[in-house]
Amino acid sequence: MLLTRRHLLAASSTFAASRALAFGDASLFVPAIAQHGGKWDARISSLRRLSWELQRRTSIEVSLEVRPLQLASPKLFDHPFIYFGGEGDFPALRGDEIENLRRYLTYGGFVFADANDGSDGAGFDAAFRREISRVLPQNPLTPVSLSHVVYKSFFLLDASPGRLLKKPQLEACSLGKRGAVLYSQNDVLGALARDEGGSYEFEVMPGGEPQREIATRLMVNAVMYAMCLDYKDDAVHLPAIMKRRR
Amino acid sequence: MERAIDTWKIVSLSPLPLWALVLLGITTVGGIVLAVLSVRRELSARRRWTLWLLRAFAGVTAMFFLLEPGLRKLQVARIKSRVAVLVDRSASMGFPVESKGQTRSAQAADVLDGLAPDIEALRDRYTFETYGFDPELSPVSAGTLRSQPARGGRTDLLAALRAAATGQGGSTARKLSGVILLSDGADNAELAAGLSPRTKAAIEELGVPISTFAMGRSGLKDLAIETVKVDEFAFVRNSITAEVEVRGRGFKGQSTKVVLRREGTTVATRDIRFEGDDDVQTVTFTFTPDQTGRFVYTLAVPVFPEEAVADNNTRSFALKVIRDRVRVLLVAGRPSWDERFLRGLLRQDPNVELISFYILRNQADQTGATNDERELSLIPFPMREIFQEKLDTFDVVIFQNFGYSEPGLSISSFESGLANYVKNGGALLLIGGDRSFSEAPGRFGMLADALPVEVALPADVQPFKARLTPEGQRHPVTALGGASQSSEAAWASLPPIPGANLTRGRSGATVLLEHPFATVDGRAAPLLALWDYGRGRTLTLTTDGSWYWAFPAHAGGAPSRYYERFWSNALRWLVRDPDLTTLQVVADPPSVEPGKPVAVVITARLPDYQPAADAQVKVDLISADDGRVVGTKSGATNADGVVRIEFAPPAPGPYRLVGRASKGEKSLGEGQDAVAVRAVGTELADAHVGTDLLAEIAKASGGKAFGQSVPRLSEVPLLEPPLVEVGRAKDQPIWDRWYWLVAMVSIIGLEWALRRRFGYI
Repeated sequence: MLLTRRHLLAASSTFAASRALAFGDASLFVPAIAQHGGKWDARISSLRRLSWELQRRTSIEVSLEVRPLQLASPKLFDHPFIYFGGEGDFPALRGDEIENLRRYLTYGGFVFADANDGSDGAGFDAAFRREISRVLPQNPLTPVSLSHVVYKSFFLLDASPGRLLKKPQLEACSLGKRGAVLYSQNDVLGALARDEGGSYEFEVMPGGEPQREIATRLMVNAVMYAMCLDYKDDAVHLPAIMKRRR
Repeated sequence: MERAIDTWKIVSLSPLPLWALVLLGITTVGGIVLAVLSVRRELSARRRWTLWLLRAFAGVTAMFFLLEPGLRKLQVARIKSRVAVLVDRSASMGFPVESKGQTRSAQAADVLDGLAPDIEALRDRYTFETYGFDPELSPVSAGTLRSQPARGGRTDLLAALRAAATGQGGSTARKLSGVILLSDGADNAELAAGLSPRTKAAIEELGVPISTFAMGRSGLKDLAIETVKVDEFAFVRNSITAEVEVRGRGFKGQSTKVVLRREGTTVATRDIRFEGDDDVQTVTFTFTPDQTGRFVYTLAVPVFPEEAVADNNTRSFALKVIRDRVRVLLVAGRPSWDERFLRGLLRQDPNVELISFYILRNQADQTGATNDERELSLIPFPMREIFQEKLDTFDVVIFQNFGYSEPGLSISSFESGLANYVKNGGALLLIGGDRSFSEAPGRFGMLADALPVEVALPADVQPFKARLTPEGQRHPVTALGGASQSSEAAWASLPPIPGANLTRGRSGATVLLEHPFATVDGRAAPLLALWDYGRGRTLTLTTDGSWYWAFPAHAGGAPSRYYERFWSNALRWLVRDPDLTTLQVVADPPSVEPGKPVAVVITARLPDYQPAADAQVKVDLISADDGRVVGTKSGATNADGVVRIEFAPPAPGPYRLVGRASKGEKSLGEGQDAVAVRAVGTELADAHVGTDLLAEIAKASGGKAFGQSVPRLSEVPLLEPPLVEVGRAKDQPIWDRWYWLVAMVSIIGLEWALRRRFGYI
């Protein structure tokens, strides 16, 4: 479905009305984005689109207003989901940012990191790996197997593409059994990006439109995982999921 | 001791040591053998035998002179030994010998009277000591047996026999020559299952004949709950099995019912039929306790008019029902951060088994999937299964921001069952949000009656800090403080939450947290309210912002576990965790034998869980069958906040102990426990006569088993009293007579002469 500016305005007014009953942002999904010293805001529109997709496809109540957040800010703790994206290298995080982000992740926060430049070993990829290893030195990024609950938290998926398909797997920093950081080098939100006219901003490679849909579903699953944790690993779901996966 | 008598015995007067005598004896025997062998080739048997005999006689006479035999004259006297007459004084001796006949104790008195003349006749040889055992030994007489009912709570024959053998119970140290045992043989201790190799050896080791007299007659008509095998603990909502043995004597071919009741309410009934005159039928009751706590269960069979004993037709036992893990059903109206942090908390708690269902998609949502079955991981919301079939398996049901009206998601058709679930002991927790209370598209109907609040106004979405009410300041659910910080300060340190549903507290509800400025009907809107509903409990939290106490609370950097503590408190209160009560009432013990007092231990704590010293405690003993208050006692706690209170022995049956405590004008709460006062103890549960056991005891010890008739005491095997020497012994040689020497020389000479004559050298 095409999300136009009209759609967004209409949706925003609807949400504004419904939010009069909701308790502020308390239970909404707010598309929060981490501000860092590099180009952090390349996917603002995609985040708004993500909220819209969540609202359309799931029962999650969302805010369409993207919330940029300083990593050292206490306000980080009002938003348990943060998108951490960027194009190219970014400067090292400050000590207070490292400390705050570490506490944020430790006490239940979730970061979806996304290499908007599709880099591998350079650019955003190198910078993010460098910084996340400072934040969670004891919990390195490791590949996420296809049996992980993030691949079945709403949609049944067997791949994790984005705008690109450079790496077949997501990576995660796990704290206990909880994945606190999910990282993709495939620019997942790039697949959702639209220009002001409502057209997709980027071509999706190599899978075209089907890959774009899978990327969208992957983001829905990532948010669902952040909000429901391992709900889909509960015993009550497993028989049905196993049957459908066959 | 008897008069001394003269006696004698032959002894050796040889000065040689024993070893020398043995050596010489062996040498002599060897010589005889060689001498005999030397003539074995003699052809004439007469000659051969003549020489053999002469040589043997020569050897014997040589031995005679070596041993130097003499006559020892001495005086001996016989010492009186004792005979223990043991009379069973256990309560079963109060049973009649036959229907409407005399008691077994009276029959024992008759036996004692019957034996009295024979006992008198044997007084010069034996001392007869008559004891009753219950199982301690104490002197008893026929008169006592008739006038004082037997009351012993146990029959332990082996212990009584051991006590008699070792001279306990006032017995003298005389040698025991025998035991006469008067009992019904209804042992319920070591010999309950008859003689085992070990107990048989123990009886043999006593070393005295035990003669038994069986008191009572077989053939009584009686129905008895003989044994009940059931665990002391059960897990709530898990089945438990009680195995019951019912003995029927004289009920051959008859059927009856066995009923299991829990404090007046019938749990189950089983039919049994007795195939023989003395038949034991085993029935099993499998039942599922639905509530934690201690409960008294009673098994009963009907009482028939001709029965020997009516008291053994019922038997009570106390069962403590505990929980394994708290089984929580969490139903969330939609994914939210409030749900995420509550789930994270419950999943981490090893004491919680979480079963959750989240509505991930509404009917209006468009997932974009072309094939839902293949592309989505969603399953249908199994409402019928969880709200009808398995509802009773949950300890707590949580509705979190859940209030759908659309078909497929509305629980309106299950509300009645949910309300009954709470009434019957379940726990319900309702968490607010934009789909709950007045914001809910589908409001609760019948279930609303179970809630401590009712919907009032639209939600107030202004951020606010929860405020503790006076009740909240001392309630365990809101007790977040510790040694260093009060609960009030702990709540004040938590961040504001972003809004609340506005509700009105219902009469009887306890409000622990309230909105600081939003009011309903002029009163602060409740945020956290709770109450008891039927036998269950419900709690409402009218916000979906409690996660602010978990996550944003950490923004300042100071870690706190208030969120975890709050929810832990709430769950423990909902499931009636005993540790979360300020007043603990514990029956001590939970099963009381008939005629024993009922005791209860009360532990009182202040709202901050410190021991409540000098608290005033009042306890009611209430019949669980009819709710009648049987007794009331008061007391004051000691420095540890503990007091033990005793009630005089009540009538048999199930009881509840309801305790209340107060310190000054402040109530410390109420608690209760159950206690079973048994109709009969183990002793009275069995009216049979153990003639076989008595016969086995007699046989193993070398005694005799007697039946109903009184025998002559001469028929009773007794060991002879021992003899002892008195005065000086006098030795008189008999070997130094001349004729012994002549005899020896004559034999040797004759042998020599004949040997020469027969041609031997």
